[in-house]
Amino acid sequence: MHIYDGLILNNTSIVLAVIMWIFSISIFVWSWKKAQQTYTRSITALLAISSAFVFAAQMINFPIAFGTSGHIVGGTFLAVLLGPYAAILSMTLVLGMQALFFADGGIVAFGMNMFNIAIIGGLSYFIIKALTRKNYSQKLFISSIFIASWVSVMLGAMITSVEISPAFTGGLGVTLPSMLMLYGIIGVGEGAITTVLLTSIQRLNPTILGGLSLLKGRTDKI
Amino acid sequence: MKKIFIALFLIVAFLIILIPFASSNPDGLEKVVETYGAHESQSPWNGIMADYSIFSIENQYVSTLVAGILGVIVVLITGLLVSKALAQKH
Repeated sequence: MHIYDGLILNNTSIVLAVIMWIFSISIFVWSWKKAQQTYTRSITALLAISSAFVFAAQMINFPIAFGTSGHIVGGTFLAVLLGPYAAILSMTLVLGMQALFFADGGIVAFGMNMFNIAIIGGLSYFIIKALTRKNYSQKLFISSIFIASWVSVMLGAMITSVEISPAFTGGLGVTLPSMLMLYGIIGVGEGAITTVLLTSIQRLNPTILGGLSLLKGRTDKI
Repeated sequence: MKKIFIALFLIVAFLIILIPFASSNPDGLEKVVETYGAHESQSPWNGIMADYSIFSIENQYVSTLVAGILGVIVVLITGLLVSKALAQKH
């Protein structure tokens, strides 16, 4: 889903890219402050480790239909592990290294990718929170992780299709349906993998799931 | 610190095992570009290890693996720096 700079070519796209840079950086600063306020020692190593894992996991594309592949994005995964704000920082870090060292995702398009992947991913925390409100059933928790992962991928794909549409002759009429169709499938993989990863961590080492205060009903200060 | 090294070891193992199975098909976005033929321009920046490979290593598997491990290390280090910076007020 990483937009590369080759797709940002005309004035409309460049203006859009600049707006997204400003917008995403503002949200980044806000998340930084929020993450500082809600910082707990337990996320020190976890932030670095989960970022590194998401980086590695994004390298592994799994095949879906139509000769297309997808990889896990990991936004919801990070959001549950780290909380929404540190998740935004963590994913921004991953995207930054990908753009800088691997040219995976553009520099001009960085603000767009930050929004579509890091910010939407981190904020998907609130989908889970809304769905599991005052209900501590494990089944509901699992299904809300699945839904949040899928929705975050779809929302990201939707906004991506708007952002890349100036590069296509058919415009949004071409990019929106095709992006939503492909990422609708990739999102199912995202949901399944995220659910398996988080429930495994929950089983093996429940204490590191800071976000699981969601599950345990502890009202955190977020 | 010990945790970080264990994690590094596990993530490297993850890459060693899974890289051969990774699909080289285009991803969703690339597929849309391929199908509908986007107008594309030259990218201003091509990275240091474009396509997750190191140009001087011929073996594709080793090349991707080394690039991946370097990336993981860089992300781990910056992640630790970010956590440190976040912790400063405490």
